[in-house]
Amino acid sequence: MDNLYEPIPMRIERIIQETDDASLRSFELSFMRDADEKAFFKAYNPGQFCQLSIFGKGEAPFGIASAAWEGKFVRFTVQNVGSFTDTIHHSRVGDSIGMRGPLGNGFPIQDWKGKDVVVIGGGCAFSTLYALTKHIMHADNRKEYGRIVVIYGARSSGLCLYKPDIKSWYQRPDMEIHQAIDVPEEGWDFHTGYVPDVVKDVAPSPKNSVAVVCGPPIMTKYTLPILVEIGFDAKDIFTSLEKKMKCGVGKCGRCNLGPKYICKDGPVFTLAELNELPLDL
Amino acid sequence: MMPKLIKKIEFDKTISKWFKSYDVIAPVSSKEGIHFKRIKDPKEIKLDGNQNSIYPPKNVFLPQSEVLFTVKNDNYEMPDQAPRKRIVFGMRPCDARAVWLLDTIFNKADDLDLYWGKRREKALIISVGCASMCSNGFCDTVGSGPFGKDGSDILITELDDAYFVDPLTSAGEALIKSLPEADDTQGKNAKLIQKGSVIKEHQAADLPRIREKLYEAFNTSIWKDVSESCLGCGVCTYLCPTCFCFDIVDEIDRSERVRNWDTCMFRVYSAEASGHNPRPTKAERTRQRIMHKFAYWVDNEAASGCTGCGRCISQCPVNLDIREMVQEITSLKIQ
Repeated sequence: MDNLYEPIPMRIERIIQETDDASLRSFELSFMRDADEKAFFKAYNPGQFCQLSIFGKGEAPFGIASAAWEGKFVRFTVQNVGSFTDTIHHSRVGDSIGMRGPLGNGFPIQDWKGKDVVVIGGGCAFSTLYALTKHIMHADNRKEYGRIVVIYGARSSGLCLYKPDIKSWYQRPDMEIHQAIDVPEEGWDFHTGYVPDVVKDVAPSPKNSVAVVCGPPIMTKYTLPILVEIGFDAKDIFTSLEKKMKCGVGKCGRCNLGPKYICKDGPVFTLAELNELPLDL
Repeated sequence: MMPKLIKKIEFDKTISKWFKSYDVIAPVSSKEGIHFKRIKDPKEIKLDGNQNSIYPPKNVFLPQSEVLFTVKNDNYEMPDQAPRKRIVFGMRPCDARAVWLLDTIFNKADDLDLYWGKRREKALIISVGCASMCSNGFCDTVGSGPFGKDGSDILITELDDAYFVDPLTSAGEALIKSLPEADDTQGKNAKLIQKGSVIKEHQAADLPRIREKLYEAFNTSIWKDVSESCLGCGVCTYLCPTCFCFDIVDEIDRSERVRNWDTCMFRVYSAEASGHNPRPTKAERTRQRIMHKFAYWVDNEAASGCTGCGRCISQCPVNLDIREMVQEITSLKIQ
């Protein structure tokens, strides 16, 4: 019987400086044991998260930012905000780190087959959406879905994540990408303004579509009603929530949203589900 | 299953027999009041009328502080669980029901908490019903009762010169198979005592209605009103038999990862690294506590998460009474 609380040993393989202010870095972790790797990829679905564990610093949840086909590693994009994330930011290639997961439900990508997918992200919350987009855009999966529209906003160009990949997405005829930054910058050829406004401008068609929104709470709050306005059904609007967590497996009681636990019943919820829950966020 | 009998003069002998194969945990007297501990002598057992322990016996399965792992070179090792089987004797039905409720969190086959699970599978719960209800108890209004059966392997009713011992599970039945059977008169007497134990004026709480009213009141300022005098000490949650929230912390000097009881009544409980806190004041925290008991448990298990033990009422330093709080919130007229 597995112990829900036991981290598996991982090794930091690669560290990517994502933003020019160094506040966001991506860490690619490889498995030290084959059985762990097998178990992970058997279970993994984009939109899930893991608890990373550093003994002495504790544990914290991070969305998974890699698609399974990318290789035998798991990527996390970590913003340096507290003592745990600061420790990760100061770790080096070759360091070991504990991991538990994948946890939570993830995006219901099987149900989305045959539909258009509108991906809307802001800031570092784009990480699981990046994994989702990479998954869908892979040759093996792309034909299962209709039109793909990605809308991604960051405060400034220097704070945009995954720059090489996103740049390459502009070359792909089978997707539509809209990037935005909050205030104008010289040399920026894309949208300027807040994500909700960009969504309004782009106005993706709600017909046979699902929309996925992940971003800072304020962005999500203003984006959801715009999608409803455009004509998306609340059942077809998905978002991923965050709250402080300890166990990540629905036991410690911390991350509840009414009767649901974000760690176990979520983190992905439809707007229709959220409309039925007390917004204790 | 056939009810059995332990004559009071044979009580010590019966309990002593269990010592061979079991650790027996039972209520004993201390200067702070009654508490549960492992006993070595049946004479230590304190079954005084309807007096319950100050601490709920949930710590038998969910210790206040327990080592999850000893950590060496990033290797997380779970400590060995006590191999001996245990009998928890003298639990009250409110607390046994709490274990039954907590099994829905920790003891699910596909999602087992190993620490709880290993303790639980090796334990028998022998409850002693309360012939009269304790002063702040309201178990009979929240789905249980002074002789409620949920969670117990055996339920005991105290007669004049004997204990009427009613097995409720096959494990309970096996433990007492060598005891003499109770006769019909003893059975009738036990029934009478059980019937007489409830307070006639008590009315069963209308849980669906309470749940609905609490949800309606979610965004009102009533939570500020009912929590005005709350000190935020958290004693209501620490002493609650169904509160199970825990924190996980690393004790570096001991090389241990530990879990400790935690409480939603503390500000830091939900404070996030960004500085955001979804429950910044005691109003939101009180709302969480009350709604968890009377709305979220009802949603998830169709049962009240409060077993009516009354500890949070007896031990609150400012005399807050969860019954009155629920009453006040649910009588709120919302436009």
